[in-house]
Amino acid sequence: MGMVNPGGTPYFILEFGDELVYFSPYTVSLFILALVFTIFAVIARPERQVDIVFGGDAFYAKETSLAELKFRRFMAIACGFASMGAMVTGDLFNFTLFISLVGICNVGIVAAVKNRHVQNAAYQYGIVALSATVPLFGAAALIAATTGTLSMVELWSNAALAVPLVVKALLVLGVMGEGMAPFYAAKAEMFRAPGAPYVIMCSLSSLLIFLRVIEVVLVI
Amino acid sequence: MWQEYSIGLLLVFIAGVIAFFALVVEKDDLHRLLLLDLVEVPSLGIIALLGTDLAEALILPGLVVGIAELLALSQIYVTKEGLKERKVQGLNIEVIQADAPLIISVLLICYGVILSGFTGGGVAGLGVVFYFMARGHREHFELLEMASGISWAIWIFAFFVFMFIPEYWLLALFMAAIGILLKVIVKMSLVGTMWGDGNG
Repeated sequence: MGMVNPGGTPYFILEFGDELVYFSPYTVSLFILALVFTIFAVIARPERQVDIVFGGDAFYAKETSLAELKFRRFMAIACGFASMGAMVTGDLFNFTLFISLVGICNVGIVAAVKNRHVQNAAYQYGIVALSATVPLFGAAALIAATTGTLSMVELWSNAALAVPLVVKALLVLGVMGEGMAPFYAAKAEMFRAPGAPYVIMCSLSSLLIFLRVIEVVLVI
Repeated sequence: MWQEYSIGLLLVFIAGVIAFFALVVEKDDLHRLLLLDLVEVPSLGIIALLGTDLAEALILPGLVVGIAELLALSQIYVTKEGLKERKVQGLNIEVIQADAPLIISVLLICYGVILSGFTGGGVAGLGVVFYFMARGHREHFELLEMASGISWAIWIFAFFVFMFIPEYWLLALFMAAIGILLKVIVKMSLVGTMWGDGNG
């Protein structure tokens, strides 16, 4: 290893041909966080949102059908798996694929909600997420074109392989579009959807991909 | 070679700018969904410019993710706009109500089986889709799903043979070709039946 990895030296690199997964202190911490929250999504019982009627002491509880809850739990678990994959993968193209999967799953978590505001927000967010695949996949392809490899381990251990700054910027732009933590203004409306543990998966996955893309950009 | 790559990149960049500009100008939600498909093309173009085997391997997952997002978004659009399923009972065109669909489908399926693999599956699947769309249908969806699942398992098993006992590559090749052929046919025919009277 020529250069120092800001995420710590990997304990273990699992290789499948040229695709690889690596576990450094940084990626392992993020992976465990994603795993814990996925387990929460599996075992947690969903909240039942209660609205207080303004100016009185009446309230009404929102009913959510079982089929809808099951679908949202499934999407939340899928989102957890996609985030786990994005946390530990050492292949840049797989990284971008996992990131776009996180984007789809975030839309999916709230898609079953029968609320027009939520669905509108999810639709607009979906449009942003879909158009963000252009810079995302574009960055991965440009990295392969300029350096000849997609392996992050290769990119940081060989000092001769330099990724141009503009390509890194494209990668970050793509991840931002897929729902990186501070940029989800469009997602705020989506959080009106009832069903707490599943909606929180949206924000958690955004935080996780934000933390991971910092490491990726510093490493490559 | 680098010069060709740069020219290609420039063209893709221009295409991307045009597509994104259209997306910004367009205000209708459905039209934006259609334009998104156009936006996807430059991203596949950038990958294709690599011009290697790797590019081919990368385009497929990129395409699949793009289609998945497009399907999810169109589903949201349908629920958001409260569109009800419209019943379509076959196509009301004279040629299609005669024997033409049967002949065309049989030709397409035969050609698809000869081609085999992913392309063959696509061609044969198109034949089946056409037949189902032209005629009404009463099929067992569970059976089709099961056939699709089993052929997928054969395909994956063939990959394991490639990896662990490469001496049997010919057997694995046949298994992979037939598995993917059946899988693509069945999946596409399901698309054809879903379009029918909405019980799928």
